[in-house]
Amino acid sequence: MDRFVDLAVSAVLLAGLYATMAYGLGLIYGVLRVVNLAHGGVIMAGAYLGWILHGWAGLDPYLSIPLVVGATFLLGMAMYRVLVRHLPRGPAGGPASLLLLFGVWLVLRNVAYLLFTGNDQVIRTSYSTHALPLLGSFVSVNRLAVLAIAVVTPALLHLVLRRTYLGRAIRAVAQNADSCTLVGIDVERIYTLTFGIGTALAGLAGLLSATIFSFNPGFGSGELLKSFVVVVLGGLGSVFGTGVAALILAIVEVFAILVMPSYLTAAVGFVMLVLVLVLRPGGLFGQRVLG
Amino acid sequence: MSPSRRFLSLALSAAAALAAALLPAPARAAKDRILVGATLPLTGSEARVGGFFKEGYELAFDEVNKKGGLDVGGKKLPVQLLLLDDTSTQATAVSLADRLVNSDKVDFLLGTYASHLVEAQSTVAEENKIPYVNGGGGATKIYKRGFKYLFGLISPVELLGTTLMQWIDEQQKAGKLPKPAKIALVWENTAHGKDFRKGVSDFAQKSGGAYQVTVDESFELNGKDFGALLGKVKAAGVDLFLVDAHLPDYITMHRQYVGAGLCHKVVTYGARGAEKDAIQALGADNTAYVLSGVWWSAQLAAKPGASRDFVGAFKAKYGGRDPEWFQALGYETARVLFTAIQQAGKLDRDAVREKLQALKMPSLLPGGTVEFKPETGNQVQNPFVVQQNQKDGTAPIIFPKDAATGTGTGANPKCAK
Amino acid sequence: MRRWAADVPFWSAVPFVIVVAALAALPLSLRISPYERNLVTVAFLMISGALAWNWMGGYLGQVSFGHAAMFGLGGFVAARLMLHENPAPAPIAWLLGGIAAGVFSLGAHPMLRLRGPYFSIATIGVGEASRLLFTYWEEFTGGASGVSLPIDIGMKARLYWWALGLAALVVTASFVIRRSTLGLQLLAIKADVDAAADVGVNATFYQDLVMVLSGAVVGITGGLWASFFSFIEPADMFGFDRSIGFVLMSVIGGVGTVLGPVLGAVVFVLLRQFLLASYPQLYLGLYGILLILIILFEPLGLTGLGLRLARAVRRRRRAPGVVAAP
Repeated sequence: MDRFVDLAVSAVLLAGLYATMAYGLGLIYGVLRVVNLAHGGVIMAGAYLGWILHGWAGLDPYLSIPLVVGATFLLGMAMYRVLVRHLPRGPAGGPASLLLLFGVWLVLRNVAYLLFTGNDQVIRTSYSTHALPLLGSFVSVNRLAVLAIAVVTPALLHLVLRRTYLGRAIRAVAQNADSCTLVGIDVERIYTLTFGIGTALAGLAGLLSATIFSFNPGFGSGELLKSFVVVVLGGLGSVFGTGVAALILAIVEVFAILVMPSYLTAAVGFVMLVLVLVLRPGGLFGQRVLG
Repeated sequence: MSPSRRFLSLALSAAAALAAALLPAPARAAKDRILVGATLPLTGSEARVGGFFKEGYELAFDEVNKKGGLDVGGKKLPVQLLLLDDTSTQATAVSLADRLVNSDKVDFLLGTYASHLVEAQSTVAEENKIPYVNGGGGATKIYKRGFKYLFGLISPVELLGTTLMQWIDEQQKAGKLPKPAKIALVWENTAHGKDFRKGVSDFAQKSGGAYQVTVDESFELNGKDFGALLGKVKAAGVDLFLVDAHLPDYITMHRQYVGAGLCHKVVTYGARGAEKDAIQALGADNTAYVLSGVWWSAQLAAKPGASRDFVGAFKAKYGGRDPEWFQALGYETARVLFTAIQQAGKLDRDAVREKLQALKMPSLLPGGTVEFKPETGNQVQNPFVVQQNQKDGTAPIIFPKDAATGTGTGANPKCAK
Repeated sequence: MRRWAADVPFWSAVPFVIVVAALAALPLSLRISPYERNLVTVAFLMISGALAWNWMGGYLGQVSFGHAAMFGLGGFVAARLMLHENPAPAPIAWLLGGIAAGVFSLGAHPMLRLRGPYFSIATIGVGEASRLLFTYWEEFTGGASGVSLPIDIGMKARLYWWALGLAALVVTASFVIRRSTLGLQLLAIKADVDAAADVGVNATFYQDLVMVLSGAVVGITGGLWASFFSFIEPADMFGFDRSIGFVLMSVIGGVGTVLGPVLGAVVFVLLRQFLLASYPQLYLGLYGILLILIILFEPLGLTGLGLRLARAVRRRRRAPGVVAAP
């Protein structure tokens, strides 16, 4: 029983991390129908931004959230204005956007490599290794914070999408961009902002991961793959589904260790990815648009 | 232009591009120096260690050239190192070795770092019958292929597992550890990790029940989340937590280990543990009593001898920094090749190979001598030194006794409560 | 572009045969060192792999990020056959490796109804899952420590011709597929799979066929690769970087064309070799920039660039003294 609780706690914490990583990818796909392969690169950039702010300015990683989110928001808008905007729309644009953004990722990796070398870095704070007792097991303070942020973020996102003009415009564009033009919504502007917000969420995920993991310029590829699984599982574009999907993936991965060697648990997510795509292409919860 | 002519012109220009790229081959210099080729992972996943080996190689080459070169058959020849970056990629390591041998016409080869790269690259040396001395490929499997030109200066990782177990066994016999002791054996799924696993589990099997491996799990190199794995370890209620990991995984895993409130009487991450980067990243308090076995330690310089000379020379060249085992092995690898060349008295590759085979050289490695025996596939079998981290951030050698600079703590006192 | 490919007359085989013959004679000339010969061999292998990827990614429009699975499978099956107590002759081992990879790719049949990015993401899943599973399967792949083949001194020299033969065969096949009705049907499927089915194209069958062929050729390439390097390990053979390599070569050279992947593979191998030796820290970023520029400005890659140049030259010849309108 003890063990069950341990694993469950571990799964919930992991789910928080997965969800944070996946929100941005899901949002961009939901609105623009573009798979942001540069997502992993932005996660890596977020980690390094936090590391610089902590190392040079002594800023606590949680206090640097606004700065990192702001910087990656601008980066995302720039990426859209300079690059993504010029891609062909529709089904023909699918592979092209994939490849273009993959190119952006390669460039980001290379820039990080030139700036910071390939060495592994960590952000170490006074509370990095602190743990709190919870339900008879120990929980790292950092992971709790990540979980809290993972819960608050979609709530905020939901509010923004439901209650603000911008949010309603974003949802309208996601449903039918052509008629939005007719009623006077500046679709390009909405696309730019959405790409910025999606990228900022990736930056946030990177910063949070950096408080838990060590990272180098190659960081982000594993995170990108997990995000794929979560987004596909939850239905591309659904904020609520993303959270639940993150929990499902985490639970399956964590509890898989009871029945299989730990080395293979990493493969479980990929198998789920393929199965869900083939059996339920709309995601486990059906295709919703930004619910 | 018709479409077909267009294709023709494109095809021809492609062929021309290919031909142009193949044209220049560097002119061969006169034999007034000894050219030694090597690749190292200077970028990519192993870049950090690659840089350390480079420092070791360069120190050895500098020392020889300061003395006017190697004495080859009564004539002093300077040595030159031609070092390329294999980016930690196998195909590149192989094709660059090809280039060193066939295009740059090097006389001998020194090895790269990390077992899989050495295993792939040494085939080029064997095909071309060029002596290949390396200090970076520790997996025993590399030396079981019957290669004649391959020499390894790095003791097998299996022996690392055995050595750690010997120290643990001493503690158990002294009553500091429970008997039988339960082991969680966690290894990275690479050749390195598999050798470590074999060393520990063989020892446990032969112990007649003094040790039981209750958890036996592998993980992926550069894994990120060890939560589930650590949960399993925790649930198994083991006494000894024996891991083999590379530096980034050691830092990540140990951070999660401490964060999950785990504590075991003996904790080791194989060859990792005492690195300054790790102690900085995790805090001296959290890494205290972590055990590590290494191929060489700067503390061996406490006694006069080859290690003290090396540490002195290294500090003089690199601004007072202490070397780690990587630099020491790199340095010694080059020195072994130099010694064999001088003994052969000529640059003939087979003559040098024979001298390497017959070599018995005083060395800075623990054990004090280097020799290659055919029965171990020309891989040295020098002992490891075991270090244990202390609360103040130091890591004295605690085993074997003749090299010890401190005494070990049998069971982690932090877990007592 | 379609017209261009379909219009290639049979006599264009003549320059092709000349190029292949010249390449076959290359190692006999004294100027080429074993190092250069080996580099060209690797380029031939990459050409075969990139062209086979292009059948899926270019002809069919299904961009795969998981071809390393077939490459690795072909390589390890071939290696195991050669290591057997009654070792299979290398060419038979390669062929069987290819067949195994072809059969394996048939398993991806249910994925074919996914289009565009969905298919690509699914292939990433298949590729990574294969890497983990095969790394774990100790008896087959030797686990993380891989498999060593006995050294055969003359093998690398012979492999030059084998690899050239394979590349020539795959180039020919690429042309034939392009010219045949099969090629047209593939284009129809690429443009709109439902519309193609409506006009009577058996979309499912042709997609399966192309996938099996593509997987088999990549598998054979993996087998030759194993023989060439004498040592293979799953992390490298099944690695994501290898899948990416096939994509990059085809896209940089010109996706969907025949010449494109050939050019792309040659550039990939040479660039890697020369950049690595002098500026190792730049090669990834350079690929990235190339990729971005190609997607934005010249979707047909280097091939498209070449065609553009040729057109510009022609225009100037036809109308001397007149500046062509942009």
